[in-house]
Amino acid sequence: MICAGIDAGSRSIKAVLFDTAPQQMIASGLTDQGVEQERLAAELFEKLLQEAGLARPQISAVVATGYGRNAIRFADTTITEITCHARGVHRLAPEARTIIEIGGQDSKVICLEEGGRVRDFAMNDRCAAGTGRFLEMVAARLDMTWEKLAELGRQSKKPALISNICVVFAETEIIGLLADGQPLPDVVAGVQNAIATRVSALAGRFVSQPVYFTGGVALLPGMARALEEALGCPVRVAPRPQFTGALGAALSAAAKPPDGV
Amino acid sequence: MNSAPRQLNLDQWDARYEQLRRDGLREPAYGGPLRRLMVREKDFRLQQLRFDNSPAALRLWNFLLTENQRLHQARAGGHKIVGTMKDLGTVPVMAYALPGLRAFYPDGAWWTPCLMECSDRLLQKAERMGLDASFCPVRAMLPALVDGGHFPRPDLLICSSGAVCDDFSAIAQRLEHLGHAILWWEIPRRRRPASGETACALPGLLAAPKIQVDCVRTELQRVGQALGKLAGKTLDDDCLAAGIRAANQVRRRLDSLRRAVYSAPAAPLPALEMLVAEMLAIHFCSDREETIAVLDDLLAEVQSRARRSQFVIGAEAARIFWVNPVADLRAMNLLEELGGRLCGSDFMFSHALDLIPEDLPPLEALARSALADPMVGPTGDRAARIVRECQAGRAEAVAVSRIPGASHCAREGEIIREIVRREIGIPAIEIEIPPVCDAMLPSLASGLRALVETARSRRTR
Repeated sequence: MICAGIDAGSRSIKAVLFDTAPQQMIASGLTDQGVEQERLAAELFEKLLQEAGLARPQISAVVATGYGRNAIRFADTTITEITCHARGVHRLAPEARTIIEIGGQDSKVICLEEGGRVRDFAMNDRCAAGTGRFLEMVAARLDMTWEKLAELGRQSKKPALISNICVVFAETEIIGLLADGQPLPDVVAGVQNAIATRVSALAGRFVSQPVYFTGGVALLPGMARALEEALGCPVRVAPRPQFTGALGAALSAAAKPPDGV
Repeated sequence: MNSAPRQLNLDQWDARYEQLRRDGLREPAYGGPLRRLMVREKDFRLQQLRFDNSPAALRLWNFLLTENQRLHQARAGGHKIVGTMKDLGTVPVMAYALPGLRAFYPDGAWWTPCLMECSDRLLQKAERMGLDASFCPVRAMLPALVDGGHFPRPDLLICSSGAVCDDFSAIAQRLEHLGHAILWWEIPRRRRPASGETACALPGLLAAPKIQVDCVRTELQRVGQALGKLAGKTLDDDCLAAGIRAANQVRRRLDSLRRAVYSAPAAPLPALEMLVAEMLAIHFCSDREETIAVLDDLLAEVQSRARRSQFVIGAEAARIFWVNPVADLRAMNLLEELGGRLCGSDFMFSHALDLIPEDLPPLEALARSALADPMVGPTGDRAARIVRECQAGRAEAVAVSRIPGASHCAREGEIIREIVRREIGIPAIEIEIPPVCDAMLPSLASGLRALVETARSRRTR
């Protein structure tokens, strides 16, 4: 049985095809998010089907997740990112007990029990300061890509202290720091530390190890290290972190019956 | 007149109301179709809500939403109006023990921005009076009182101070500075009796040192004298004892309603109506006798539905314990739309649901009841009660809603979540709900739905 998972995130749409017989991902891909979410998701889905040499009727079920999940009307059902990231990470790293997911517009801390069941979770969804949006803002202000930004962060010798907890005010602060001659790598590392600090506050006192970091932001060099410092414990980057939500959605689609809502 | 329980929007209620009228619906003087409240009172939020379809629920909503009108009528009929601020359920018991007094809860204006979808600009007016969005939405009370466009200006304003919400104290002080005299009474922060101190048992399995109970009793005595002066009759022990017995009639009914709804295998009454019904405990929605009648109707409806095994929300729904009242009523509907149901609640006035002791001198009993207020004691005490009620209601998860700007709950939610997690190991989330939550609906829905998913996924494995 082949199932599909689609993670319609705020910055990109990710899709995964999962074959239950060998229990593996057989295709995955992503595309930038846009206004026409369903069309973009459908195009990505079709592209994956073509790459895998499959036709739509061969797909047993499609589950959508992510903030734009309700726009994906061709999905059979929708499930939240909490459940999907938990399933996806558990599949790839069964030992994970805490998952940190930093997305484009929110961040989450998910606690897992042995067996991968969600024990508890916390979400930051009302402030950009603990999300990838903060990095996006800085990248846009400095006219460079996320990846280039993260690369710069690795060169930091003494990360700057970003004292504002509001992204809008932090932007002004960052401009001020640069105007004062602070090295750019230090400012970038300071932004990463600020995000990590916000996420660690969200995690509170219930972080069980091992901690896995997932979501697109996990791919950026320096972020995992910043999280380690903020949490005071090792943080591992999940395998294929940008796809764990979509994988979890595909696994949910494969579950009989789906135990979503 | 019985029909299968379900939730209706305002349009559906129009048709339902006509049907009920044809079938001989009998209503109190404040009755009528819900739509008139949207048109006349500009309660636009009603268009976004889904209501229980029973005549009992119709009566509840009409009772709630005609309070200002009923207060004006009471004033015109010669009643004295008493605004009992901050105190949640103590001073109203005293006021209703005296003839000719109507106590109401000006703080209740905090729902007005939600109901009117901010169309009367109460929050903006509050900002112009120096209280911006960093304060609790209760700040809507300030322009409502100053303008006099909602409820009548009270003949007497009473407000508790001390171990109460900082925001509210600031708002009430601003009100006083604007020329509205306030009778302040103080309530100390409740603490556990120290070794060697005489302890007094409080409702809700709590205890406080006798010195604190004595202090509150003396303060309430002063309040009682002011109320007596306003009523032209001394608030003596007999009078107060009768008032306590009457208040306990309300509390017993609420207890029966909560037990019937929260312990049922599926929900016989929706979460929104339960929130509104429980709120009646605070000040009887300005009419104690009518509160009893409204609750009797609701209880009869719930019992009838349970007998017929007819429910509004099915047994598969995740059993959610809800902490704190919501600034936007829409959130309670949302919980059920996303697969949850209420199996318990702590809307921040649990002490007003507990029976006031009838075997103690009346002022002493009221002082003990006031000191059991969850807001004047440690959060750990509140969390302990939540844990007990979660266990009793077989809660599968806890939702702690936060009120933007409300300083009394800045860290309370986090502490409650930690204690719930530690003691009973069920998931708990904290969500912020502003007076009109439309802009936040996607993220709010995600959080609630994830909670429901998590609760359900823990059932089977």
